[in-house]
Order: sequence, then structure tokens, then C-alpha cells
Amino acid sequence: MAETEKGPSRLPVVVNKPTPYTFDLGLLLASDPNPLLLTTPENLEDDLAATARDGAQALLNQLLSTCPIASTPNGVLLSLPGIETKLPREKPLPPPKAQTTWEKFAAKKGIKSKTAEERKKMQYDEATGEWVPKWGYKGANKKADEAWIVEVDEKKERERKEGTQVQGDGRRERKEKVRRNERLQRANERKQKKNHGGRRD
Amino acid sequence: MLRQIKPRNARSKRALDKKAPKAIENPKTTLFLRGTTCSQIAQDALTDLYQLRIPLAKKFTKKNPIHPFDDATSLEFFSEKNDASLMVFGSTSKKRPHALTFVRTFGYKVLDMVELYLDPESFRTLAQFKNKKCAVGLKPMLLFAGTPFESPVSNEYTLLKSFFTDFFKGEPADKVDVEGLQYIVSISVRDTVDGEEVKPSVHLRVYLIRTKKSGQKLPRVEVEEMGPRMDFRVGRVKEADESIMKEALKRAKGTAERPKKNISTDIVGDKIGRIHLGRQDLKELQTRKMKGLKRSRDIADSEEEMMEEDDEISEDEPAKKTRKR
Repeated sequence: MAETEKGPSRLPVVVNKPTPYTFDLGLLLASDPNPLLLTTPENLEDDLAATARDGAQALLNQLLSTCPIASTPNGVLLSLPGIETKLPREKPLPPPKAQTTWEKFAAKKGIKSKTAEERKKMQYDEATGEWVPKWGYKGANKKADEAWIVEVDEKKERERKEGTQVQGDGRRERKEKVRRNERLQRANERKQKKNHGGRRD
Repeated sequence: MLRQIKPRNARSKRALDKKAPKAIENPKTTLFLRGTTCSQIAQDALTDLYQLRIPLAKKFTKKNPIHPFDDATSLEFFSEKNDASLMVFGSTSKKRPHALTFVRTFGYKVLDMVELYLDPESFRTLAQFKNKKCAVGLKPMLLFAGTPFESPVSNEYTLLKSFFTDFFKGEPADKVDVEGLQYIVSISVRDTVDGEEVKPSVHLRVYLIRTKKSGQKLPRVEVEEMGPRMDFRVGRVKEADESIMKEALKRAKGTAERPKKNISTDIVGDKIGRIHLGRQDLKELQTRKMKGLKRSRDIADSEEEMMEEDDEISEDEPAKKTRKR
């Protein structure tokens, strides 16, 4: 302490080397690419210690100046970056997880999971600037029913069932869709019972 | 090859899961073992390396009739049995005195090996340095000094660098305590001189770090040797098969975790979330109320119009319902 308080006798902390160090801070590793300076065989230990000191100083400088420091109740923590050096693994990568039956089926059919937007019941109506439900009471799927004038579709008119008219078409179609879905659902349940003998798998 | 065990209870399943290949792997365990002949010097060296490597290490004391470069199947067996992917094998013979063989495995098969001959003259054990040692299991700092380590083509020195990095890496940590940066492992080698037969020896030194106040922001570092002190000559080398090495260097896709946005921790350790609000509508701002500025006074007329519109709608709806029936 006494030494440091005196102005002129500041200890040097900067390391100057002809080629700069390279670091891998994730591993706390420094590489000194400069040739090792060895004077005489008797002096080997001092030379090595000097090299190590310079390296340690450079590494510590780099760590303290580039890594974010946070002081917590557990001590002053340095956040290290990721490891850059390529080191071999000890075991091969685990095989990718096998697709479930559903995932296989969905991939075959091109079924994708709904997006967050699709899951929402309300949708924005540009024309009125209001949020309306997509289906149900005042649903947006009933918009076509409220049309004032409907163009006559010749082809559809020819195939029209007895006793029906254009006005109820949308509703009939929706009802038919619901019935179709229920039919398919029942069929699926029957098929499942047949395949698994009623067991859960 | 060990028999394949099908777990019959939760405990054995946990044990197997621990050994199973993972995208982000467990830290490598090192196994220290000796051959049938192993000089006291080599044994001491093994003990000291083991001391530096604790707790990710196992040490065997029995003699093993193994010659790693001739037949490594026993080593592969030990690797699988102990789930150790790094091994240090000590042996001595007249031709190869005080040899330490560093072995790395990949999928319980030998990946690469380096044989190092310890110099008995300069060897000093950890206990021979009479000073305070650092705590067990601390992450060391690493320094590789010398041009041979930086060679662009892979040779025994770059291989050694990879070996020692793996050896001293310890447990991966994204945060380290500044107090824990207590020692540095310095591995240095002098330059190779052209026309020289003998390869330069590798110096492994371990130093404790002492920091002094420098009067500047960064501290002044001084080092004090902690031991062990080892000088190695490089012996036989078995490099990894290129295709296997490529396989071993593979990284799992998407292992880099994306940082969570808008959540941070302050210096006290409190979690801070940042939320985004829309632009504040200053028209809605409640200012001082005055009777003369009341809304109702000038909206009164327009409200009557609104009422009329509402009536129209309510008339429409029942009409529709009747039509549908």
C-alpha cells in the first residue's frame, strides 16, 4: 500500500510483446505466440516465471477489461464469453429424437400447428375498425349472409335442392361442416378402438 | 465391450442417463493409472496431476499390463467402465524412462495419444514447494507460450496444446469468481531450430497469482511457483483419424442459448424487467377540471344523433331473425 500511494513508483501493468496475445476467455486461456526468451540454462526458471507473469498479467487485464463484472453476495463474478477453441467431444452427438406417430402424419399431410394469430377468436375488421369474433354470435363468417344483393350463380341454381333458396346457403354449409367433422370424429374413435382394442397406449 | 444394460429401476436408469451422450456434455473425467513398471518419479507425477485435476479425476493404484501404443483395448474398457474420456498412463522402461501417456477417447474408443517422457532431474512435486496451495477444484488460468504451439499444421505441439487445454479445462462455467482466479498453468516450449535432432522439451509450471495494487485500475500481477514442475520430452504420438476427429468436433445445432430479452439483473442481484408501453395519449391526460370546459356542454347535440342511429339498428335485427326461420 505504502508503495502505491507514492506517485512515481507506480507498478507497470501493461504487457508489451512484439506479437499480441490471443485469448480464449471462455477457457481462461491465453496463447503467447512470441518465441520463448531463454537466456542461459541456469536462468531457466526465472525466464519461465517472467513469461508466465507477463501472460498472467495480460490474461487478467483482458479478463477484467472486456468481461462484464457483477458484484453479488457470492462475490465478484466475471461473465465469461463462449468457448472458441475447438475441443473434441467425449461421446458422439445424441441421435435426433424419433418422430411421433402424430408428427409423421402431420408431416405427410402438411399439417402445421396454428400460429398465435390463428388461435385468437377475435379478428380486426378493417372496414368498421372493430374487433369482431371469427365465428359464433356476430361472427365474421356470417358476413356473406347479410349481403343485400346476391349474384345468381346459374350452375348452383341448377343443382339446387328442392325447397331451398339462396338466403340460407351459408348457414346450411356451416351446419354441414359441423356434421361432417362429427362424422369423422366418430369414425376416428371407432378406428382407434379397433386398432388398440380399447387400450390406452 | 461392456454388456448393454437395460435399466430395471429408476436408480439404474438415472445412472445410465448420466452416462448417455448429451448435446451439452458432462465435464471430462480423467483416469490416472500405471503400468507394471512405473518409477517413483512417474508415480509422483501422476499423483500431482491427479491433485490438480480433482474432483474430475479417478486414480488407480494397481499395476496394469498395458502398452497403450500396441494395444489399447484395456484402456478403452477402463474408459467405458469409469466413464472417463481422458487418461494418463504412467510407465517406465529402459527405452522409455518415466513415460506418461496422455490418452483421449471418443465414444470409449481411443481418439489420440501422446507420450511424454518426464525429465527426472528437473522434476519437483507439489509437496516440494513449501507454500500455500490453492483450493481444490478451482479453475486454472492457462498460458501457452512459444511458437510451436501456434503452428498452422498440426504437429505434436498443437496436439499437446489441445490435450492440456482439455486436461485443465475443468467444469465449464459462464461465470467465475474473481477471487477464484488463483493460479495459472503455464506451458511453454522454446523454438525449434532447423537441423536439430532433438525436439525442444515442454515446460509445465504452475504458479500462484499474487495481485498487488498498482495505483491504476488494473492490479499488478506477480507469480509464485506452486508446483508441480515438470519438463517433458515428446515421445510417440498417435494422431486422431481425420474422419473420427471431424465427428468428435461436431457441435449440437442451436446449443447457443438465445439471451432472454428485456430481463436483466442489477448489481444488487434484483431481477429487472423492462416493459414497453404504447405512446401516451396526452389528449386523455386529466388536467385541472373547470366547469366551463366540461365536455357535455358541446357534445350534447351530437349525442342526440347517436341515439337515433342506435334505434335503427335495433329495429333491423329482429327482422333478420324472423327471416332465417
